[in-house]
Amino acid sequence: MQPEEYVAAALRALAEQDAGREAPEEVEMRLRQVFRHRRARRKWKAVVLASLAAAAALTIVFLAGPRGRPKPAAPTPAPRELVAERTVQVEVAATAAPTPVHSRPKPRPAVRPLPAQPREVVTEFFPLLDVAPPFERGELLRVMVPAATMRRVGLPVNQERLGDRVYADVLVGQEGLARAIRFVSYEQ
Amino acid sequence: MAEGHVPSGYWMILTDAALLEQALTGEEDAFTALYRRRQGGVYRFALQMTGSVAVAEDVTQETFLALILHGTRYDQARGTVAAFLYGIARNLVMRRLDRRLRTELEVFPEHVEECAGPEDLLEDLTRRESIEHVRQAVLSLPPVFREAVVLCDLQDSSYEEAAMALDCPVGTVRSRLNRGRSMLARKLRGAACGRSIECSPKSM
Repeated sequence: MQPEEYVAAALRALAEQDAGREAPEEVEMRLRQVFRHRRARRKWKAVVLASLAAAAALTIVFLAGPRGRPKPAAPTPAPRELVAERTVQVEVAATAAPTPVHSRPKPRPAVRPLPAQPREVVTEFFPLLDVAPPFERGELLRVMVPAATMRRVGLPVNQERLGDRVYADVLVGQEGLARAIRFVSYEQ
Repeated sequence: MAEGHVPSGYWMILTDAALLEQALTGEEDAFTALYRRRQGGVYRFALQMTGSVAVAEDVTQETFLALILHGTRYDQARGTVAAFLYGIARNLVMRRLDRRLRTELEVFPEHVEECAGPEDLLEDLTRRESIEHVRQAVLSLPPVFREAVVLCDLQDSSYEEAAMALDCPVGTVRSRLNRGRSMLARKLRGAACGRSIECSPKSM
């Protein structure tokens, strides 16, 4: 027998002898425990992150504090849906200064001053149309809406506060359709 | 795939890569199937590299633990899951050998196996003795040659698989394997005669 054949036979014999050797079952048990623990921790982490994100959104949008919330304007008329508070002309192509346009035929006293709080905090725009025609120009209307409107676009709102009224900006396109809405709160 | 809707045996038909992918999404059954399929090879690799049952057990556990924690690092384009596992196991083994734990490693006990009949006892003992001698010869090889011999000759890994596990080119695996076998032949030469593995002094 040649040396290489002898070595091959010797190694084959060793491989055959060891063929049945395996890690004990406890190793598998321990690994599966780690696997389960890690999976549970990952799920828990995802839940916590989602909760934190929701809480942050809620805080920014709605719970900036009682003073941060828009105070109902003093002589506000009876609650109405989508009552224009002020309007801003939005031109897509041009950058000319916006021209105030009143959406209601009845002239109102000049634009009502905003509450004393200095800083506005706004959410992103939420689309109101599934399929919108091309946007050329539009107007941004500051309105007051029930807090329930926030829930309709997917923002979390406490059940007890659904009746509260909040400020919102409604983007109305050139064809007169309300295209998107964003919500406004005030920070001191 | 929702739990409870997986037909028994489903995992057995999936490839290692598919099992790993499922395991990384949290499928415990996929992980278990992959472990059961591959743990033997990893365990034997560590055992044949270190000669220690305890170390082999630790290395197997740590290898699959690393798979749970860092399995996303596996790249199918670079090689098989088995090679990826051998690569992890090899690093763990080398770390232990580097720490010079070799000297403290216990020699693993023999399996308690069915005893041969009295007439076969002597033959069985000499055969075992011979195999243990081969094992010791393998263990005495320098680690870089030992790992090539263990992977290619004892674990039946392909050269490509061994190259990925050892993180070197295929040509290097071939040359290390040849060197390892030559060294092994020299080590076994002196003690080969009179043992149960056939040889004749002239042929050596």
